[in-house]
Amino acid sequence: MSSTDMMRARLKKNRPSRRHRARPPKQRTALGQAFSAANLGSAIALQQCRNCDARQYPPRDVCHQCLGDDLVWRDCSSKGKLLSAIPLHHSLWEYFKRRLDTAPWPIASVRLEEGPIVFAHLHPQSLLDDAGKCPPADTPVKVFSHTDSSLNSVMIAVSASTDIASATARTGIAEAMGLTEPALRPGGI
Amino acid sequence: MPETNIREFPRQPDNWDGVALTAPISFGYAKQSPHGAAWFIGSTLREMLVAAGIQKREVDGFAVSSFSLGADSAINLTQHFDLAPRWIENIPYGGASGVIALRRAARAIQCGDADIIACVGGDTAFHRAFEFTAAEFSNFTIDASFPYGGGGPNAAFALITQHYMETYGATREDFARIALAQRYNANHYSPALLGHKTLSLKQYLEARPIAGPLHLFDCVMPCAGGEGMLVMSTDRAKSLGVPYCTIVATGELHNSHQEDDIQLRGGWTEFAAAMYQAAGCGPADIDILQTYDDYPVISMLQLEDLGFCAKGEAPAFVATTDLRFDRSGPEPNKLAHNTSGGQLSVGQAGSAAGYLGLTESIRQLTDRAGDNQVKNCNTALVSGYGMVNYDRGLCSAAAILTRGDT
Repeated sequence: MSSTDMMRARLKKNRPSRRHRARPPKQRTALGQAFSAANLGSAIALQQCRNCDARQYPPRDVCHQCLGDDLVWRDCSSKGKLLSAIPLHHSLWEYFKRRLDTAPWPIASVRLEEGPIVFAHLHPQSLLDDAGKCPPADTPVKVFSHTDSSLNSVMIAVSASTDIASATARTGIAEAMGLTEPALRPGGI
Repeated sequence: MPETNIREFPRQPDNWDGVALTAPISFGYAKQSPHGAAWFIGSTLREMLVAAGIQKREVDGFAVSSFSLGADSAINLTQHFDLAPRWIENIPYGGASGVIALRRAARAIQCGDADIIACVGGDTAFHRAFEFTAAEFSNFTIDASFPYGGGGPNAAFALITQHYMETYGATREDFARIALAQRYNANHYSPALLGHKTLSLKQYLEARPIAGPLHLFDCVMPCAGGEGMLVMSTDRAKSLGVPYCTIVATGELHNSHQEDDIQLRGGWTEFAAAMYQAAGCGPADIDILQTYDDYPVISMLQLEDLGFCAKGEAPAFVATTDLRFDRSGPEPNKLAHNTSGGQLSVGQAGSAAGYLGLTESIRQLTDRAGDNQVKNCNTALVSGYGMVNYDRGLCSAAAILTRGDT
């Protein structure tokens, strides 16, 4: 195949996915899978070092502070402050592309009070204002994890006053955000 | 959490005398390509040999930067190209690749570990390849940032840009000054992929939104291409009769300022003063500045951290400083910045983008830039930045270059 034909063949495939169901990215490292498993039974669980008590996220093989390898998954405080929040208008991933067809998808980085910085899906109902604007830096928030429709745990940031005490309440929030269901294409394959 | 990042070096590093940078090549820029990365790297190397008038067997040092070599690295390419180097480096550090390669190669030349070192950054861009690069950029990316939907680094840089705007009151018009001046420069640099189009403030402001404050013309276009240079002793360069430039001073520092919530500065803050001191000059003496411009806000961080203005004052600096290569803008102060158009207008060819400012500076300082030649330039500062592992870029590097003897 000549290079021109090869380019033409590739460009021909440049079209939206026709899959019926599109889900969030499924790929994780072994540590990411351990994060998902550790968070199944808790609001938010992060790695903690048993040697120096340091908390860390994203998950690592050794403690970022003392390099010890005696790490355990422990429940963590949900409280944190917003560092920066923005609405996504574009994504490379089909699931998000379909969600973005209806509204921008807000995400945020949050400094948890126990130290780590996490990226999280931003809960629009409790954190966006009437005009759909993201809250400013330093807004107090709560962060919890929930399983998405790819069966991975992902972080969700809600306002400080939102009730996330029960698993039912947390699941309700994740469901309302559309995270627990695939993004569907009517008539897809 | 670390209390401070200030490091006391046991002694000042040795000088960088006697090292020549020559044969700058920018090769094969294309939005997509069916060729592999080795085609871009090998072709760039071929052009470098022609430019210097040397044979392949005379190259005894080889440094490679690439994201798209698949299972291969620098050593695999030696067999690919039938090279027999006695010095080899794989430098997969994205936007800092060029300056880091320069520093490694210069020391090897000074120590006699190699006579002629080819430093090449090259990447291909298959259809939809950026999606896969973005999805698997690093383990932290896989576990903690890509699942949140951002298109590659767009999300992390949107958060940084938003924070910068909230903290220092920067506006989109401020960022536009950088993008517009660079597009003007690219209009005079024919290999630039977007150089055939002009860009107006209206077009910039009305571009489609990508993430938060970032719109289309704040984001680089991923593409394919190769960039490379030869590093050798100044004696060797003179005997070959090739035009060259030399290194005055340089520094690098990685993963600095870990305590910052969001990246508003890089490692430059820690080594810029020592670099200027070693160079015996200051920001005011720099004729050409090449920053790493994956997003305009990152160029602003470099303007600040490299001492061209105080922290938070880059918006005011670009409002009063003409960044065009030919000093044709209306602003009173002049600083030729990203003279080939930078990645924003040339395109981001993976790791080759880390060499973009370097090859352009060598061309400028040897009077071989062509239509975008800066007149009366003697000193260039090239800055590298790269590797957004999670929420911030980890690498910072910079080098001050000057004309060689003619």
